[in-house]
Amino acid sequence: MKVGLFIPCYMDAFFPNAAIATLELLEKLGQDVYYPLDQTCCGQPMSNSGCNKDAHDTEELFIKNFSDCDVIVGPTGSCVHHIRDNFDAIEQTSEVKHVRQNTYELVEFIHDILKVREFPWAEFPHKVGIHNSCATLRSLRTASMSELGEPFFSKPKTLLSAVKGISFAQPQRPDECCGFGGTYSVTEEAISAQMGLDKVRDHHDAGADYIVSADTSCMMHQQGCAERNNVNIKFIHIAEILNGARS
Amino acid sequence: MSVKPVAHAHEGAKFLEEKAHYHFHDERLWDVRQKRDQEMHILPEWQELRQKASEIKEHTLANLPEYLEQFEKNAKANGIYVHWARDGEEHNRLVNEILQSHHAKSLIKSKSMITDECEMREYLEPQGITVTETDLGERIQQLDNQLPSHVVLPAVQKLTGDVAALFAKHYNTDPNDNDPHSLTEAQRQAARPIILNADAGMTGGNFLVAETGSFVVCTNEGNADLSANVTGLHIATLGIERIVPRMSDLGVFIRLLSRSALGSPITQYTTHFRKPKKNGEMHIILVDNGRSDRLAMDDFWSSLKCIRCGACMNTCPVYRRSGGQSYGAVYSGPIGAIIDPTFNKTKYSTLPFASTLNGSCTNVCPVKINIHEQIFKWRRVLVEEHEIPFVKKEIMKMAGRLLASPRLYRAAIKGTNVALSTMPRFILYNYLNPWGKHRELPHPVKQTFNSWYRQNRLKSAQKQSEKGGQVQ
Amino acid sequence: MTTIHQNARDVILAKLREKKIPQPEQFPLPDVVTLGDLDASPKRFEDNLLRMGGSLWPREEGESLEEAVRRKFPDVKICSATDEFKASFKITDLRSLKEANLVDVMVVRSPFGIAEMGAIFLSEKELSDHLADVHLAQHLIVLLSKSDLTANMHTAYQEREEFKSAAYGVLMSGPSATADIQGVLIRGAQGVRSLTVIWTD
Repeated sequence: MKVGLFIPCYMDAFFPNAAIATLELLEKLGQDVYYPLDQTCCGQPMSNSGCNKDAHDTEELFIKNFSDCDVIVGPTGSCVHHIRDNFDAIEQTSEVKHVRQNTYELVEFIHDILKVREFPWAEFPHKVGIHNSCATLRSLRTASMSELGEPFFSKPKTLLSAVKGISFAQPQRPDECCGFGGTYSVTEEAISAQMGLDKVRDHHDAGADYIVSADTSCMMHQQGCAERNNVNIKFIHIAEILNGARS
Repeated sequence: MSVKPVAHAHEGAKFLEEKAHYHFHDERLWDVRQKRDQEMHILPEWQELRQKASEIKEHTLANLPEYLEQFEKNAKANGIYVHWARDGEEHNRLVNEILQSHHAKSLIKSKSMITDECEMREYLEPQGITVTETDLGERIQQLDNQLPSHVVLPAVQKLTGDVAALFAKHYNTDPNDNDPHSLTEAQRQAARPIILNADAGMTGGNFLVAETGSFVVCTNEGNADLSANVTGLHIATLGIERIVPRMSDLGVFIRLLSRSALGSPITQYTTHFRKPKKNGEMHIILVDNGRSDRLAMDDFWSSLKCIRCGACMNTCPVYRRSGGQSYGAVYSGPIGAIIDPTFNKTKYSTLPFASTLNGSCTNVCPVKINIHEQIFKWRRVLVEEHEIPFVKKEIMKMAGRLLASPRLYRAAIKGTNVALSTMPRFILYNYLNPWGKHRELPHPVKQTFNSWYRQNRLKSAQKQSEKGGQVQ
Repeated sequence: MTTIHQNARDVILAKLREKKIPQPEQFPLPDVVTLGDLDASPKRFEDNLLRMGGSLWPREEGESLEEAVRRKFPDVKICSATDEFKASFKITDLRSLKEANLVDVMVVRSPFGIAEMGAIFLSEKELSDHLADVHLAQHLIVLLSKSDLTANMHTAYQEREEFKSAAYGVLMSGPSATADIQGVLIRGAQGVRSLTVIWTD
């Protein structure tokens, strides 16, 4: 199985460690990982802003980079959600369909496709609060949604539970949006930042030392809110913990 | 006359500065959302109810003219006058004609979003008709000359002190009275004489029943029952989409409505009007006001399923923090973001962007409207129809070009201390400036993943696969 | 009224016929459903009535209805809307809204209650066409029989012909209520301040 590694633009630029951890983790899990060097972005920023036509060339480039992969894995829920659910600025050829149907977010790839439940090398002796991004929660459905009253499940928590020493904080509003929302974070920056601050405070008040997420974009926003307001909490991508980071 | 788009971001930011208001607003609505969740957990059939409600509404909308005709026929047979209004203006003229023909000068009314939509009070007052809202929250908003902030909690953005100040001005009560009990009592005492001396009564309505020609009004204060019954003249205004085929369909909707809205099993009063009262006269006005146009919109017709419970507002993290007034519209929150642009694309062009597209609204909607997907679709429509600012569109065009070219993109974020110092100026200027107002910027890193990969993995990767990425 | 309105009707209906997107064949009408708990017990009714802010008033051994109500509301103006309950005023004696506005307690008989909602039903029949008067009174006493309960809203709408025959039919679940000022729940906003059910069997 040829696994294409998709590292989105902001992660490439701001969170290389999480990207490296993703690569190393997939390798530890025995995967044949291929990283196309010419990748940039999935087109979501343009698409989410309504400027779908402007996403055309970026989507085309994405297909060029990944169409010969059996699966594509991205450590970022919102981009995977875009690819799977809204990637329609380009003609829907069989190639495009293949890519869209076979793109996975990292957690769901490990949980559903590889079905791995053990990470013997991982140990994280800290209390973490899990941040499910809205894309992973309500589009990719990697955890149960409070609005629907469905039985509890959480793929990220299932994976993290295998990590030695880890414990979980329970925020009051576990699936409240953190306010990032892509370009929303700048078009309505004050409301967005308030949501982010409320979110990190909720985790902090629940006793979390770290907020862990499968979505770096939410974390970038939350970290900015926490630092500006001196909320003492750290951020880590789930790939880093599963790959064996100790802090 | 050029129409200015609603400044939601600006107004929302102002609301946030009122810290006590914002905190109460957020907590209050979140509490209502949690009460709604509790009701959902009590009923194992919740999702089935939502599905049925959605199916009944979809069926009714697909057969709307037939059901409206059936309703009209039965209502007329029951002795009700049935009127039709194409728009707000026509509606208001009708109400005025009915009132004038009865020499009615004082109208009491229960809460109705559609009369706000038609701007009826503004029309009637210059005709010499005094309109008094009898719902407490709606009355507060009327006295303060504001639109309702929320479809079921019109004054939820106010604190007790705001109401005390308002009542002191209008009812001569103690401006320092900080007790909701005595303020509510003050409203009861002030409203009673107006109710007893009114010439005509008006209600909105939650449902029209085609099968029986009746309509249903749900309230908690009982003010609709007073407004409808104290005079000999009852006018009811409802949107044409409010119809259901059968009386038994109400079983589904009444079970969902108040649970979704307030987390209570039912409203305190659920009133079925089928015929005028003895020696009384009853008029129903069926209002289109853009609904028939909406029914012809591929992506947006299903927003007509809405039963105005406000659950999408209660759960919306943006609405809870920006307050209903920031939407500058009769309908605020997520449902407003998809309905309002059908009234005025320019004025409400900002509202579909006042969302993180998180999808919680869709999940709580009792009639399963895909609200967040419609918000997303509205963005595309508004861009295509040039209703978003040029600058914003240009940024996206440039971003699209940059991100489509690995060479330009790599050049833009090249180097060690990447991104922040070397990001193209337009991104830095347009994005990181507002970003940094209330947040720290992301930390600069030594190396992008891409360059790390080239340094550390490329050779082994190329050895493994001849198909490896091209080195530039 | 005038011809404008006739035109409006035809224009609206024509527009709806011409342009609507949802097509009838795609959206059949679902069958009538009866979902959820079908318990029609007095216990369920009582629990929900209390939850909605209503109350129950038990009769003591050998006590008449009149005595029971007097025990709860001594020295007030009581008005009766039912022959079962003897009071100095009958609802049919009320000549004006202003008279009705002075009533402290109105006593009515409800033909049925809904266990799921703790709701009671009243129509013009029980109110002798004095529709406003019941809402102008300060307090409401409702006489109800345990054998007149239906389980939930589905069974209510399917079984009770009153919904199709009454000119005016109100379901009341407890008294008038509001939480419009800073979320504080207050009973007795505009309508009755309290609603009390007395079982008559």
